[in-house]
Amino acid sequence: MANQDGLYSVVWPRSEMTVALGDLAPRLDTLSGKTVCELWDYLFRGDEIFPWLEAELEARYPGIQFVRYSEFGSTHGDEEHEILESLPAKLRELGADAVISGMGC
Amino acid sequence: MPSASLVCEGFAGQAATTSVGLGMPNLPLSVVTGHVDGQTTEELRQNVLERTLDQVVENLTEQPPAAVPVNEPSPQDVVFEGSFDEVNRLFYENGWSDGLPLVPPTKEKVEEFLGWTDRDPDEELGILLPDNRRATPWNVAVNGVMAGCRPQYMPILIALAEAMADPEYGVEHSGNTPGAETLIFLNGPVIGELGFNFEQGALRDGFHANTTIGRFWRLYLRNVAGFLLHQNDKGTYGNTWRVVLAENEPALSRIGWEPLSVDFGFEPGENVVTIARYTGSDVLASAFGSRAEDVLPYLADGVAKQNGWQLCFTLGLARGTLRPLLVLSPVLAATIARSGFSKRDVKQYLYDHARVTAEKFEKYIGEFTHLVPGRRSLVDMVNLGRAPAAFAESEEPERLVPIVADPEDFMIAVTGDPLRTNAMTFAHNGMLGYPVVRRIVLPGRWAAG
Repeated sequence: MANQDGLYSVVWPRSEMTVALGDLAPRLDTLSGKTVCELWDYLFRGDEIFPWLEAELEARYPGIQFVRYSEFGSTHGDEEHEILESLPAKLRELGADAVISGMGC
Repeated sequence: MPSASLVCEGFAGQAATTSVGLGMPNLPLSVVTGHVDGQTTEELRQNVLERTLDQVVENLTEQPPAAVPVNEPSPQDVVFEGSFDEVNRLFYENGWSDGLPLVPPTKEKVEEFLGWTDRDPDEELGILLPDNRRATPWNVAVNGVMAGCRPQYMPILIALAEAMADPEYGVEHSGNTPGAETLIFLNGPVIGELGFNFEQGALRDGFHANTTIGRFWRLYLRNVAGFLLHQNDKGTYGNTWRVVLAENEPALSRIGWEPLSVDFGFEPGENVVTIARYTGSDVLASAFGSRAEDVLPYLADGVAKQNGWQLCFTLGLARGTLRPLLVLSPVLAATIARSGFSKRDVKQYLYDHARVTAEKFEKYIGEFTHLVPGRRSLVDMVNLGRAPAAFAESEEPERLVPIVADPEDFMIAVTGDPLRTNAMTFAHNGMLGYPVVRRIVLPGRWAAG
């Protein structure tokens, strides 16, 4: 309700965020000799795009290795919660240095 | 771990706001020009190699600038004092409003709402993605005030916040491009006690409880989950929030069918909310006939026609998550029931008769949409154990296949004009808004009123 001056003292309609601001991981000095994992939501032509990226990156960075998206399963589907939960351990197990994830479309 | 996120050009804004909720507002993106679906193979390849590739390298090898913290108010802070118009202008300019006039959320009004729950105002009801914000009775009350609800609606609003936070519902997908909208179902004595419309015009605005609680849902999605247009909400068109659909339980009782909440395991007479997201709907007008056998073929035809690309939630993108909805008017439900059909019988009928050809099914999820890459056939899916046998009873392209994985996947509700032989069918958004139910817990003071 309004006060005697016809004014309303109103509160914020949002709430606190539960995730703190984090530092991004240090970037790599080079992609040569590194293991890059591919994550795909099995949508929007990732099956065409990832091989093109692989071929060009292999030409530029000797020794770069890729772990195909099929190793992980779809990151968007009825199994997405299980797949995303298992991801950190799986990436460590595979010795991943970096990730390319798609497709946000 | 260094990452490069591949996004189509039109989705960079959504990715930027989503990354804020992840605590990484400086997460780098690799942009694909335009949208991938409209490009030839050569156009797409050229765009990826000329633009996206360099950004991938940059994302993985160049450190983005550190993120700058943003200070936000505390939930109970008074953020402004002003007139009705000034408050509404401020809320609109900050993205806290749906554009309609809001009731100013003063502490006094919020406290009035909190008087209609026994929950602690700061109790965590859940975490809402993509903003990763806490759902609490306090912010439920704030948004309930703003939506124009009455304080007595608080138990329903809290149940809705809990349902929204249930991972099975998948609130994080609420900004997907089909722009589906949630439908809230209500069962139990609160329908009568709070004056919900459960008869003619059941889905039209105009009844206070149905309308304001529907508005609350969309405000809560905006302010706590974080779905704002041109940011996290990428609905290509979207549509306005739906009013609450209350079932006609007296009519159900007369014909001997249980309410929707009982289908989800609750006892008759319990106060329950059910939520699910639907991409669209259509009226099946003037179902003619005095027997179930007369009207069901028309209804099954309408249910099947309402589902196209959504079949990817039956098989393909997800399995067994499509839950098509059929809403029957009481007179139509009574016609079906007096022929001896239970709700389960109706679901089985729809499973058997609301069908499409296998060729059409495969086109909806493959050729037409590319939602299931590789164009795997239904027969292949069955052979791989990824589809029920009913989808490959032969290899004939013209064979009819179900639109759901199991008869129980159909949902049936009874409401609307009691004496008009119309029905309504809704296409469901599958795992991107899967049905979730919550009991409505009334406060101790409820009986006293």
